[in-house]
Amino acid sequence: MQIQQIDEQQAARQGDAAEMIIKTRDVDVFYGDNQALKHVSLDIPKHQITSLIGPSGCGKSTYLRCINRMNDTVDGCRVEGEILLDGVNIYGPEVDEVLLRARVGMVFQKPNPFPKSIYDNIAYGPRIHGLAANKDELDEIVLTSLEKAGLIKEVQDRLHSSGTGLSGGQQQRLCIARALAVRPDIILMDEPCSALDPIATAKVEELIDELKENYTIIIVTHSMQQAARISQKTAFFHLGEIVEAGDTEKLFTSPSDERTQGYITGRFG
Amino acid sequence: MTDTNNSPVGSSWNSDKFMAGLAKRKRSERRFRLIGLAAILTALTLLAILLFSIFSKGYTAFVQTYITLDITFAESVIDKDGTRDPDAIRNANYAKLVQDALRAKFPEVEGRRNLRTLFSLVSNNASDTLRDMVEQDPGLIGKTVEIPLLAGDDVDMVNKGYIDRDLAEENRRVKDQELRWLDILEEEGDLSLHFNTNFFTQGDSREPEKAGIAGAMVGSFYTLLITMAIAFPLGVMTAIYLEEFAPPSKFNDLIEVNINNLAAVPSIVFGLLGLAIFLNVAHLPRSAPIVGGLTLALMTLPTIIIAARAAIRAVPDSIRQAALGLGASKQQAAFHHVLPLSMPGILTGTIIGLAQALGETAPLLMIGMVAFIADIPGGINDPATVMPVQIFLWADSPERAFVEKTSGAIMVLLAFLITMNALAVLLRKKFERRW
Repeated sequence: MQIQQIDEQQAARQGDAAEMIIKTRDVDVFYGDNQALKHVSLDIPKHQITSLIGPSGCGKSTYLRCINRMNDTVDGCRVEGEILLDGVNIYGPEVDEVLLRARVGMVFQKPNPFPKSIYDNIAYGPRIHGLAANKDELDEIVLTSLEKAGLIKEVQDRLHSSGTGLSGGQQQRLCIARALAVRPDIILMDEPCSALDPIATAKVEELIDELKENYTIIIVTHSMQQAARISQKTAFFHLGEIVEAGDTEKLFTSPSDERTQGYITGRFG
Repeated sequence: MTDTNNSPVGSSWNSDKFMAGLAKRKRSERRFRLIGLAAILTALTLLAILLFSIFSKGYTAFVQTYITLDITFAESVIDKDGTRDPDAIRNANYAKLVQDALRAKFPEVEGRRNLRTLFSLVSNNASDTLRDMVEQDPGLIGKTVEIPLLAGDDVDMVNKGYIDRDLAEENRRVKDQELRWLDILEEEGDLSLHFNTNFFTQGDSREPEKAGIAGAMVGSFYTLLITMAIAFPLGVMTAIYLEEFAPPSKFNDLIEVNINNLAAVPSIVFGLLGLAIFLNVAHLPRSAPIVGGLTLALMTLPTIIIAARAAIRAVPDSIRQAALGLGASKQQAAFHHVLPLSMPGILTGTIIGLAQALGETAPLLMIGMVAFIADIPGGINDPATVMPVQIFLWADSPERAFVEKTSGAIMVLLAFLITMNALAVLLRKKFERRW
């Protein structure tokens, strides 16, 4: 009897652990007259990895860029619907997109370190947000970010050499470290491994897997193997709509929609 | 023929038609290269001719003829009372010392007119030289010293071989008598060429031997200073706003078209604008670098804006996205990342724009910077002229000696322009970044 109760409590706690940090309700995105997303509703669980897959132009990157309002910087882009982050609509009038982007970090397709030193690359975010009170704190943030990104061993002797001098995989991990330095809750990754070789990809994937302990990660990928390897949840986009979303394992083994089946088995896309 | 034609339609790779076409393509390429080479050679030849004609005429402007005379610093002339009073020393008649020395050299010359001609061998600047010497060292009084004195411009021209002695005397500026005196001076080794420091330290003068380009250089410096102080920040800010902040709209398209048009407006029109606004409305001082600088700033602004916009556009979007993604505001992304990265390109454009402004004459004629100004300007509100206008003024002067001055000034101006352009190239090379 007692044991059963404990099991129930645990189950409830696990339910808590899988609380939804982002709730998307009926989001439409337009680029001018062109509708890129149609009635997208998707929940993102906290501290898990969610993959967004789908053929090119299906709207998965557009969706990703809605979450930190990077679409605001695109001329003629209009977002309708609600995206709730911890229950607050991020498109609401009281939300500052600059602060939002500090909370929702982003890693891009092509590694894009600033042409500055490795140290300055990571210190930039904390500096503009005033996260470090003094030089020592800043040093600490830089070092822990590098450590979390698994880059510290490779670069600790050359923190003040240029970030663009690193290899592609190292640059991408530097970009991840840079995103971590502003202490985000969520990290968006837009095909972070598409410009990397398999070895660098493996390292980045390993890193992403470690990061899910403390961060919620949403990753757009063209590689279905990658989605299957690293993510717990997967959403399949097609022509601006979510066709199917759910547990990665289920989606890849027994998809309920024909189009998902077709895409993951390589018949189209 | 072997059967290598795999394709069902068209002619094969080794058909005569294909070969003929290939030969034609090669011929046309060769022809194009030859035309290009010819064009470059023509341009280089013309440049060489231009430089040769300027340098061959102009290099003599950097040396000046001096006549060495035995000057007796007679106490009776300089300091009659023997008090060594500085005022008396300053106001003494030093020209008399020079005249006495010349008379001593040529005792046979008589008559007012002949004497005046004789005295004109030495520039009237000589008395100033002597005054300076005595003021510095009053101990000279009573002594006789051999001193090289600046010669008049006619003597200088004869000494440099610019006066044709075969010409009939009545057509010649320098008469036989003067030539004789000069020959005597030459024989006795009293004529000498010295580096022309006056050219670089003095302002303009009616006497060619005294005229220098320092006034124009300082005027150009102040003018460009104003131009840069106005056009650079304004141009860069405009470019950043238009590239990074302005939403695309019809109005902004209109602005863009107008900026491009402004860059093509003849500079004299900017001069008229400067005249109308800065002189007639704002009542700024005429002929002053402040007005010249403002006018040239108007002219340079479009060049800087266009160059800066191109440089800003060349910064890849990924850098802006990286900054925005970290929570930087648009302004922070622009000023922390885009601007520093585009700065080399902006500076290159700015230097080229300033070099253009440095060589500009027409708009400055409109605002009165074409006046004869002997003093070196002491500030942005003093009357001044600039180097290209000085060249224009000297080229207009009748004296033969101004011809070499003109070429000399052109050489100085070219040196400045080449330095500025080299600086622009250097900056571009040093900071060139490949993405």
